[in-house]
Amino acid sequence: MLRAAIANSPDRPDDERSLIALAAVGDRAASRALYDKHAARVHRLAYRVCGDPDLAEDLTQEVFVKVFRSLGQFRGESAFSTWVHRIAVTVSLNAMRKVKRLRERETDLDEAHQHEFEPDAIDPDLRARLAAAIEALPDGVRIALVMHAIEGYTHAEIGAALGIAEGTSKAKVFDARARLKKALGDYMMED
Amino acid sequence: MEDRRLDELLDDAKRSYRPPPNAPLDEIWSRVETEAFAVQPVVQPAGPARRSPGWRVFAGAMAATLVIGVALGRVTAVNEQSATIATAARQTSARLASNVANDPYQRQTQEFLGRAALLLASLPSNNHPGLPDERLNEQARQLLGTTRLLLDSPVGHEQRMKDLLEDLELVLAQVARLQTQHRGEALSLINEAIEARDVVPRIRTAAADLNISDY
Repeated sequence: MLRAAIANSPDRPDDERSLIALAAVGDRAASRALYDKHAARVHRLAYRVCGDPDLAEDLTQEVFVKVFRSLGQFRGESAFSTWVHRIAVTVSLNAMRKVKRLRERETDLDEAHQHEFEPDAIDPDLRARLAAAIEALPDGVRIALVMHAIEGYTHAEIGAALGIAEGTSKAKVFDARARLKKALGDYMMED
Repeated sequence: MEDRRLDELLDDAKRSYRPPPNAPLDEIWSRVETEAFAVQPVVQPAGPARRSPGWRVFAGAMAATLVIGVALGRVTAVNEQSATIATAARQTSARLASNVANDPYQRQTQEFLGRAALLLASLPSNNHPGLPDERLNEQARQLLGTTRLLLDSPVGHEQRMKDLLEDLELVLAQVARLQTQHRGEALSLINEAIEARDVVPRIRTAAADLNISDY
């Protein structure tokens, strides 16, 4: 009913802006519509960063609680999705820093074996090595690599989400690749 | 050689590196809803502290506009009172379906706040062309009429709501007078007012308060 009203409203600027305006005054249906539009991608990113299903759900929850509580501060200077992802990256990285402080994370070398892949795919040991090498990257470099090479974000999107220049995002991914090549060593020569 | 090999590995990693499970989005939403929309204690800010020097400067600059705006509001109110009231219930139930208050004044106030928030979101900005000036003028004039009605109603007896309505009246008066000539300057002034007076967060707070208080 709410969406129909917005759609029929002669003064609607566009769907998302209308939803944001209504969500900013506490409208649940508009808030849910915004959540539906962005939550899956936020959850994917959170899971890729933390690797824990429960934590990824908690992070997604935390991101959207922050989004709706601070929606009044959103000025529309960037795209809403960029703003949401900036919060998602900040929340995820902060959570991972806390986790690292509590326990030195060990890459679960068996994790790669838990999933089934095509028989002619990459050697499972190499997959595990790669996962460990990605894990060992510094946070800022790792998230840039994950967002770009694995989740398919553009450097412009990464720059906006991390609050860095597009060129800096490219440099971080370049750095990540160099570190991975070094970490994988001999494996890189196999083919 | 190494780059090509790494590209292959990273391409494989799209599927193999922490492949995200299906997210229980409905369940997460329930938790978000519980936490984000929980009723929080209302802290009444001290009046003088909210008046920043910037606002005083702004208020001075808009004094002339206020006179015109109030006059516009009063004139418009007479003509549009019945139409506004007639449409309020319908629009309230549609736009704020999830937050409907019981009291007629509260319903009308919620409707007004929703429409005011939409109008503010429709203002042109660097990234958004906004609505044409004529539409903005017309909607602001309509809202000005409602603002005056609300200020004269029991809703306007509550100090915090009264402050918000008066600030909105100033902003709406400026929007109602927005013209192609000196448009950039006027928009800048309007945006400064919205920013300096935290208008959007206060609209949200007021809308939330309407669900838990009676006037």
